[in-house]
Amino acid sequence: MVQRKSGGFGRRRVLQGAAAIGASQLAAPFIVSALGEVPIKVGFVDPLTGSLSLQAVSEVEGARYGTAEINKKGGIMGRPVELLVEDSANDVGTGVQKTRKLIERDQVSFIIGDVNSGIAIAMAQVTSEKKILHIVSGGHTDPITGKNCTWNVFRICNSTAMDANAIASTLIEKFGKRWYFLTPDYAYGHSVQAGFEKLLKAAGGTSAASLVPLGTPDYSAYLIQAKAYAPQVLINVMGGGDQVSSLKQFVQFGLDKQMAVGGTLFELESIRAVPDGARVGWWTMEWWWDQPGVPHVAEFNASMKKITGASATARNWFGYASVQTLATIANQEKTLDSVKLARALAGFKLPPEIALQPGAPAFREGDHELMSTVFVGEAHPPKGDPDNMFTVHNPVPGEKAAGPAEATGCKIRWPA
Amino acid sequence: MSAKQSRKLIVLAAIWIALILAPYWMVPLGGYTALATRVLVLGLAAMSVNFLLGFTGVLSFGHAAWFGLGAYGAGLTLKFLAPSTPLALVLGMLLGGVCGAVLGTLLVRRRGVYFAMVTIAFGQVFYYIAFQWSSLTGGDDGLRGFERQPIDLGLFKLDILSDANAFYYFVLFCFALAVGAMGFILGSPFGRTMIAIRENERRARFLGIPIERHIWIAFTLSCFFMGFAGALYALVNNFADPRGLHYSQSGDFVMMAVMGGMRNFWGPLLGAAVFVVVQDYLSSVTVNWMSFLGLLFVLVVLFFPRGLLGFLQRGKA
Repeated sequence: MVQRKSGGFGRRRVLQGAAAIGASQLAAPFIVSALGEVPIKVGFVDPLTGSLSLQAVSEVEGARYGTAEINKKGGIMGRPVELLVEDSANDVGTGVQKTRKLIERDQVSFIIGDVNSGIAIAMAQVTSEKKILHIVSGGHTDPITGKNCTWNVFRICNSTAMDANAIASTLIEKFGKRWYFLTPDYAYGHSVQAGFEKLLKAAGGTSAASLVPLGTPDYSAYLIQAKAYAPQVLINVMGGGDQVSSLKQFVQFGLDKQMAVGGTLFELESIRAVPDGARVGWWTMEWWWDQPGVPHVAEFNASMKKITGASATARNWFGYASVQTLATIANQEKTLDSVKLARALAGFKLPPEIALQPGAPAFREGDHELMSTVFVGEAHPPKGDPDNMFTVHNPVPGEKAAGPAEATGCKIRWPA
Repeated sequence: MSAKQSRKLIVLAAIWIALILAPYWMVPLGGYTALATRVLVLGLAAMSVNFLLGFTGVLSFGHAAWFGLGAYGAGLTLKFLAPSTPLALVLGMLLGGVCGAVLGTLLVRRRGVYFAMVTIAFGQVFYYIAFQWSSLTGGDDGLRGFERQPIDLGLFKLDILSDANAFYYFVLFCFALAVGAMGFILGSPFGRTMIAIRENERRARFLGIPIERHIWIAFTLSCFFMGFAGALYALVNNFADPRGLHYSQSGDFVMMAVMGGMRNFWGPLLGAAVFVVVQDYLSSVTVNWMSFLGLLFVLVVLFFPRGLLGFLQRGKA
């Protein structure tokens, strides 16, 4: 009889060992995270993967830089600030789940996000349920500071109505009143198109539209429809990677010779991602790195350049301004109580080192929208500096672009 | 009582004690109650898939459709019909179950990969309906603007909205009801017949068992359980979105079932627990968390073909 060798390492023992080590990897971080209670945590949910990833990564870079600056100056009430970033994967369900996780597991004091408007609205529902101060860094759809507004939500980036108001008159004057929309089929797209249509109708124009699902790679069917309508302006509402693909195909089809193109946003991240030929059209920028004579802008741009290797973008500023706003207001009020901080933020004027633009934009009391300048201008291939691909022709003050707060449909109900 | 039976009872008691005490042992380990709630709900969904896959031997790749319909059913009820949590659960379950029952009649004659393909196709039909019908479902932005409501028990009100522990126990109660029903069905003669079909369909047919009718009943029951899980999921997030109907979500459920052990009643719950906890932890660390989960899945399939629970049980035996 052969006796089985005992004490040797069989395949099964190795696998059991590997499984045990694997399991301990999962358990350990839980224990560690339970100990660290000292820093003040800020949760940031953004679509780091998916078609808006370039914008999201820029926002996170800005927010990380802002957090480092805050910590250099003593943090919030002497406590360091820790930024916890979660990927919403450009999916509303994931965004909701990540927001709940940040609040319930990590016990964050503040929430920032999301680039995707649909996710931002859904997050706002969670943060108001949990009574957490929430800054929407870069989701543009109107209802966030309109009919879905809540006491705890403030927005840094413009509303779509502000951007549309600022650019519409320019497009009508320069090109005409027959427009065709290429609109992404979600909250942001619908609200931009509705905003434009209202303005166009008031000016006596006509329009037609294609609704395009997010993440569409091939725009030929929609561009053929657009060509058949023969508009004077193609309004491209697509965002992020979708805008890049649709503009490339617009130029490949030769449509740029037949109609003008324009819209609310053609962000620096997107302009960088298209070839020279597709760097065309009239757009709004929500922040621009080249603002001669405006204090602190050059320093911010230089610091971001050190981190990213390129000029600062509007998204960098959104992320930076979001964390800086939270830290500044908490230090001013000396509390983390979200109701007190939200009351203090209503009407709060951003100091010049955070505002980084002409004037002193404030969070409007009526709808919690930041009255930030809208930079209307034209995209073009680089001139001199590789990032000089946009020329600002007409900076429109936020109040003028936004119209009265009552018109947004926002009624803020404060908790008792 | 034989040693085997008593061991079975001890294991069962251990599972339930672990589940009942979850809010107390998860928090010190750095977890949170809402995570335990998600494990329960997704575990129930994976067990529903397994009801069909592991015990009838039919692989559905479109089960997320019934899950998502349950979620929309519950959400729409709370938003438009009446602010009642029990009603939302019942109507959510009915929406998922009835749609499953109707389409099931078209499915039962297909087998193997054809069955799987047709279930994907039907699932995607519901996905696109939810995606396109923006005025009712909110489209890609999902269904918002509803909240789970406190349960009025006559003597006192159970505040399941703001009290995470109360909600966990409410979900555990629902989970116990569903799992109890599932166990009862599997133990009945009908359940034995399902297993006979899984083991040798031709032989079962020759014995005079109406195979199609049995598969249809099993499919329908599984859809009802799935709809129930979906309705609970809508209550967990106070939110429903089309991604919950997508076939990739079906794939996640199948993955949970196979990873945990698909011939085993409790396997999918373990699979769901591993899936949800790994996702929760890894997705904070890296955006590529799915690669790690995929790797884990490949390892399980290669080395423990009977799933994690199958492996644990064999280790003990």
